[in-house]
Amino acid sequence: MSMFKKDEYTHEVETVIGPSVKVEGDFSAQGNVTIEGSLSGKLRTEQHLTVGSEAKIWANVVAGSAAIAGEIQGNIKVQEGLELASTARVFGDVKASVLSIAAGAVLHGKCQIGEEQRSRPEKPGTGAAEAVDTEATEQ
Amino acid sequence: MYLYLYDSFLNHKKYGTTIARIETKLTDMGIGGKIIRLSPLRNLKELIAEEIGSGVKTVVVVGNDKTINEVVNAVTGQDVVLGIIPIGPDNTIATAMGIPTNEEACMTLAARIIINLDVGKINNAYFLSGVHVAESTVEIHCEQQYTVIPETSQATITVCNIRAGAASSHQGTNPQDGLLEVSINQPNRRGLGFFQRKQSAGATLIPCKHVIIKSKQPVSVVTDDLRVLKTPVTINVVPGALRMIVGKNRSF
Repeated sequence: MSMFKKDEYTHEVETVIGPSVKVEGDFSAQGNVTIEGSLSGKLRTEQHLTVGSEAKIWANVVAGSAAIAGEIQGNIKVQEGLELASTARVFGDVKASVLSIAAGAVLHGKCQIGEEQRSRPEKPGTGAAEAVDTEATEQ
Repeated sequence: MYLYLYDSFLNHKKYGTTIARIETKLTDMGIGGKIIRLSPLRNLKELIAEEIGSGVKTVVVVGNDKTINEVVNAVTGQDVVLGIIPIGPDNTIATAMGIPTNEEACMTLAARIIINLDVGKINNAYFLSGVHVAESTVEIHCEQQYTVIPETSQATITVCNIRAGAASSHQGTNPQDGLLEVSINQPNRRGLGFFQRKQSAGATLIPCKHVIIKSKQPVSVVTDDLRVLKTPVTINVVPGALRMIVGKNRSF
């Protein structure tokens, strides 16, 4: 790092929808988004989404990560972690890498958590299954 | 070649000594130039265009925020650099740009740190700081994709390019990010009648490039505290349209 470099600052583009503000339409942002008011349509951010306890969202939501304390009526798709606080009310399907649900949270919908890749049962006579069989015979 | 535009309020004798000190310093530093004293009777746009035609490359505003905002409309998009020598009160833009007041600004001017700044455009006029809508019922259409509707008529709406007077980037918008910031502040009134207290409820902040403000009844929209327009208005950001001399201690 250069010793002459000006004091570093990170100007993160932050979007905040305050209480008593209504948003209608396709809302997409590149930075972090905080919603305390209401939103209907679509909601998309590449970064973190925070939904306050008084917020109401009628939209399909796509985000990098999310912490939800309010109400969402729509499907949620999160790349990383999704946190549902005790006041959260979600009516829709949820897809995330990691899900954390606090006691008291409401979730009505299908959950798809973690990696999609699943292992297949191995055929007899190949690989690990055969090795296990051999060990069993020796004993 | 430098052109110095003195605001008319500097004709007051209390500024005489300061002006004399500034002029001496400019001459000492070899950045003296033509001086024009502004007056309401002069057409600023024509005057600046004439001077640019005769070879002016740097236009220096000697005055305050109001003077800068007037000159911004005339120099945006032109092949000139804008400098500031802030004098007197109401110099929040200069503060955000890291420019000290009075003769100390001459050092900043001579150092010539030039950056390209975004400028806002409302209908056909440019603005540097922002646009302000008084408490009224309006709809804000952003990016032609979504509409923001304040649920009360008591909201104060601003569309900022630079949050003048901001001490740090975290408090202000960055006039180099190619974005404007729509902010909606709603007072949260508590109590009754005379005892009613205004408290700021959570503010709304939305960065965007294209904004249309509409309303059922025409509402006044004030740009940089100078011009008053009526809704509907279209607001865009013009990235890097203004070349400006700034200080090292600027807020962005």
